[in-house]
Amino acid sequence: MKLQWRLAALKNGFQDATAYRLEFLFEILGSALVPAAIQCVLWYALFDLGGATQVAGMTYMDFVHYTLVSLLFTQVRGGDHDFELAEMIRSGQLSNYLLRPVGVVEFVYIRGVAPRLFIAGLCLTIGVILAQFFGFSGTRMIGAMFLALMGNIIHYQIGATLATTAFLWEESYSLLMVKNMVVNLLSGELIPLNLFPSSLQWIWKSTPFYLYVFGPTQYALGRWSHTEFLIQIGISFLWILFGWAIIRLTWGAGMKRYVSLGG
Amino acid sequence: MIIEVKDIRRSFRSTQKEEGWKGALGLLFRPKYQVHEALKGVSFSIEPGSFNGLIGANGAGKTTLLKILSGLIPPSSGSARVLGYDPFQRNLDFRKKIALVMGQKAQLWWDLPARDAFDLLRAIYEIPDRLYRERLHTLTELLDVQRLLGTQIRRLSLGERMKMELIGAILHWPSVIFLDEPTIGLDVLAAHKLREFLRVFNQKEKATIILTSHNMDDIERLCSRVLILRSGEMIYDGHPQGLTQEGERILRVRFITPPSLDELQKITGLSQQLIQLGELEPDQPEESRPVLFNIKQDQIVSVLQAVISRFQILDMGIEEQSLEKVIQRIYSEEKAGSV
Repeated sequence: MKLQWRLAALKNGFQDATAYRLEFLFEILGSALVPAAIQCVLWYALFDLGGATQVAGMTYMDFVHYTLVSLLFTQVRGGDHDFELAEMIRSGQLSNYLLRPVGVVEFVYIRGVAPRLFIAGLCLTIGVILAQFFGFSGTRMIGAMFLALMGNIIHYQIGATLATTAFLWEESYSLLMVKNMVVNLLSGELIPLNLFPSSLQWIWKSTPFYLYVFGPTQYALGRWSHTEFLIQIGISFLWILFGWAIIRLTWGAGMKRYVSLGG
Repeated sequence: MIIEVKDIRRSFRSTQKEEGWKGALGLLFRPKYQVHEALKGVSFSIEPGSFNGLIGANGAGKTTLLKILSGLIPPSSGSARVLGYDPFQRNLDFRKKIALVMGQKAQLWWDLPARDAFDLLRAIYEIPDRLYRERLHTLTELLDVQRLLGTQIRRLSLGERMKMELIGAILHWPSVIFLDEPTIGLDVLAAHKLREFLRVFNQKEKATIILTSHNMDDIERLCSRVLILRSGEMIYDGHPQGLTQEGERILRVRFITPPSLDELQKITGLSQQLIQLGELEPDQPEESRPVLFNIKQDQIVSVLQAVISRFQILDMGIEEQSLEKVIQRIYSEEKAGSV
């Protein structure tokens, strides 16, 4: 495993993402504000307007904690580099990467994840401070961030697999958008997943999306035991392994259909 | 041989949309496909260290051939070997030894300065630091872009960007370079610099180069061999001078009373494309504008006889055909054939 180009790609990806500083900052703030606003409206409706004292075993303060902590992991959840891959296949820009002696899916991921790693570092710092303030465990926060980063890999793998439909149909924008909408709902970034009716809990449990935000938040807030956390780390590894295999399969098949348009 | 191509064929399928609502609905429910044969059994081989021109009209199959040779797409049938590798296997060692520069496609990252992109390429190709600095210095000096290394790619002019693209493509000193219209859109000076650089690089480093270009200056000045594709078929493979020495001539005639081109066409039996009006010298009346007959050496006598039998000639001359004109004729024959 060659480390040199991977480190250089990380550096290059970070330089690229921060070429426009304000754009970079607005992206972070925007992606934090929207889920926060949605959750605030929901908690207000439930507790102030609805007069509830507990919902799904959670008090108002539990929900506030959930919102604050889940926001940190939402930031790490993953960028839109699957869209970039799909567009590259469609436009023929993929050719630029195919000519280089590196794996294109991994290369695009590393360049894309660079700013996320920076954000993850920031969020972890904020998380540890929050933990001190609210009395959570800082160590749990580190473990939770690790799980969120694994979620980031899974998220990209799913996107990269779906992006290969562009080899078949040229356009996979809608498919990736639908995936993102499902992720918004089933990752726990809009609502805690334990609000799902118990008969429908299987839905989010059968996808890996809960590992992005809900899982890390549960562990950080002390609602998952260490054993449960280790099981979820194991499950994440299995998803990553599955993702790796499926990417090899779909990209291998897709490349045979690639026409390298343009030029 | 460093490149061996045997009977390569490549076809593409694309959807065809009819006009209006009917076409849009048809595309939605019953799409119609059209198969286009881009390459029809092309074979050739290339010697190491040679500089080769690959020319043909738009859609002749040049870029498709380069994409196959660089491993971007597989051929539908036939085989290609470059440096002993099957390109489409896309072996890592193979990718380290080749480069493809596409004049119409940016390979560097737009929002970053060239230096950042080159740093990444250095790591990708595992170029030792000292060697990297030496090469970067040589290349930027040869192409006169040293002062622009810290400027965002998107802020560079087309010529400057093309130079940076070229540096990015050959920083790893490839053994085989495919250049797809590298001088497209460049001004005369920039094109000249780029051309000179390619000539020196080919001579010094013994890199094998295949160049596609619509600029015949590129071909004439750089290539020792020309391959011409017409509608996916190889119609010429040889020395560039071979094209003009095969008896292509321009018969330049000035008439006392110039006839119409239609009349000349009728009496000589030549097609419209082969008879043109030449440039008018300054301060000369329109009547003295010469007529140019693009013909073969052995047609000169018969054409002259036909012309003299009907019209009075002021003067005449025979000139060697330029490569540009020969290629123009080949392209126009292609268009006529495809109608």
